Amino acid sequence: MFNMFRLVQNENMKIYKRLGTWIMIGLILMIVIFAGGITKYLLAENVNLNWEEQVQIENAQLLEQIEEYENMPMVGSSAIQPLKEDVMINNYRLENDIPPVENETLWGFMLSSPDFTALASVFVIVISAGIVATEFSTGTIKLLLIRPVKRSKILISKYIATLIFAIIMLLTIFVSSLIVGSMLFGFDGINLPYLVYSGGEVIERNMLVQIITFYGLNSIDMIMMVTFAFMISSVFRSSSLAIGLSLFLMFTGQQLVMVLSDYNWAKYILFANTNLYQYVAGTPIIEGMTLAFSIIILSVYFFLFILISWFTFNKRDVAA
Amino acid sequence: MQKQPIIQIKNLKKQIGKTTIIHGISLDLYPGEVFGFLGPNGAGKTTTIRMMVGLMNITEGEVLINGYSVEKNFEKAIAYVGGIIENPEMYKYLTGYDNLIHYSRMIPKIKIERIEEIVKLVGLEKRIHEKVKTYSLGMRQRLGLAQALLHSPSVLILDEPTNGLDPAGIREIRTYIRKLAVEENITVFVSSHLLSEMQLMCDRIGIIHHGKLISVETVKNMLEDNQHLSVNFTVSPLKEALSYVKKTNPKIKAEIIDHRLIIYTSEDQITTFAKLFVNNGFSLTGIHGEQKSLEEKFIQITGGDLHV
Ligand SMILES: Nc1ncnc2c1ncn2[C@@H]1O[C@H](COP(=O)(O)OP(=O)(O)OP(=O)(O)O)[C@@H](O)[C@H]1O
Ligand SMILES: [Mg+2]
Repeated sequence: MFNMFRLVQNENMKIYKRLGTWIMIGLILMIVIFAGGITKYLLAENVNLNWEEQVQIENAQLLEQIEEYENMPMVGSSAIQPLKEDVMINNYRLENDIPPVENETLWGFMLSSPDFTALASVFVIVISAGIVATEFSTGTIKLLLIRPVKRSKILISKYIATLIFAIIMLLTIFVSSLIVGSMLFGFDGINLPYLVYSGGEVIERNMLVQIITFYGLNSIDMIMMVTFAFMISSVFRSSSLAIGLSLFLMFTGQQLVMVLSDYNWAKYILFANTNLYQYVAGTPIIEGMTLAFSIIILSVYFFLFILISWFTFNKRDVAA
Repeated sequence: MQKQPIIQIKNLKKQIGKTTIIHGISLDLYPGEVFGFLGPNGAGKTTTIRMMVGLMNITEGEVLINGYSVEKNFEKAIAYVGGIIENPEMYKYLTGYDNLIHYSRMIPKIKIERIEEIVKLVGLEKRIHEKVKTYSLGMRQRLGLAQALLHSPSVLILDEPTNGLDPAGIREIRTYIRKLAVEENITVFVSSHLLSEMQLMCDRIGIIHHGKLISVETVKNMLEDNQHLSVNFTVSPLKEALSYVKKTNPKIKAEIIDHRLIIYTSEDQITTFAKLFVNNGFSLTGIHGEQKSLEEKFIQITGGDLHV
């Protein structure tokens, strides 16, 4: 175990002594600050209505739409259900005097901050794609592997270092959003709960817990793509291929599933399952999918990726 | 050499796809010797070395280091080995010192003082805290040596360590290798395609060609061996003379080049052959002896059929 700690230390040294890594972290910070500024100074809505009136207008629109949908035979109940839930949540707000979270508040900003993880994913993929492949392309792999350490331990240390980098990226977003949000928007509405519809009723959830859950859901997607990049990097020993392929799939995977969503087997595609939001809010991309199903599919892919990386890294000749 | 071998290579073979690159090499190396692994480009030096250090899978045969199989007991076996495979590729964006820290973390129970010690040993004190990308090739080579020696190995495996170095650099490496072998009893296995260079630093030289180890000799023997004399006899009839020589001396190497009979033999045998021809009715009109250099012998063995 001590040994593993030192190996991870090595991998960390190789990540954080590179300028590029710090540029990535800097870019994340800049994006968060930039987004905060935009929200505060450009998107601020001057509405004269109070929140009760707004919620009532929204409800009226929702009900109208529900009625419209109900008259269209093609639209299934799965499309109508979320609208009904929104109406119920809005009613709950009016009854219990809980205003919705505005964008220009700390919580509003924090609720939108998990979106930045897409950018962080790109950066973590870049690191993941390079962590094995660059050892091959620069030839350093030869000196790395002639040490009294098993190849699999070296591979594990690289994977752990990649995950640590992913966590650092997520923390950077979370902490900087918290700081930027509280500096720009203050602490108005800090006691507001997050309302969700669950099991036929509206329940109040702690806002912070909810935000952290969103980060968690997003990081599943990130980890799958990062592990995929890691595998491509170990199999093909090329970081550009690993970056290219992973980013391409990350950005087109969902669309691919969309196109294929008429086929039932499409639910076994990785990208049909990476977005776990679909079970928290909204409807599954393919009818009949459940959270448990997605978790099983994700685990299968995950172990497959890890197994392939492990096998090729351990067994293949190093001819770099 | 009654000592126990530190490295045993037993019938080592490598096949990639359908081609066999290494055809069964067997070799024992002993503590404190400098062994030169000599062969022209593409002979299979790097491939053999990669199998010795576990970078490539062994198709057949085995490599034992201090009794441990590189294949089955990798961690134990490799702990005795330090090496540079082809170029000393280091992390260029790290300092020399960070590179050494990096490798030291992969060795159990190493003291931090050892790093200072080794830096001094290879004479990099002044530049060790600078990034490797600012180093000259010679400095990189020295840093390469430093990482290879960090854990005080019993065996040092170097693949063409003098590649690209200037004469002073080559000489420095050479002196250094000798010093390690003599003072620290380290076995050095060094590959090269230049015999002249090997001759100066090695105790024994093995010649590899087309993936086969075709000769292993001590440098001392090679230098003393006057089998390398090629004697030209102008004798007739030529063909009959050749078959006569071969009949009477089945072990001798003889051939006809430019209407002359060439016999590879030693000085003291010249008269014997002259007498043989004269006494058996051949006409002998000239004898000319020529000492072959080791380099010529090497080229004769390997260079003649490079295109095969
Ligand atoms: N991965 C590989 N796949 C197929 N053939 C290979 C591979 N690696 C090496 N070879 C072949 O094996 C032979 C030996 O190559 P090797 O690199 O071991 O030679 P070498 O003696 O080190 O040569 P050099 O002096 O040029 O470094 C060459 O003919 C080479 O083409
Ligand atoms: Mg070579």
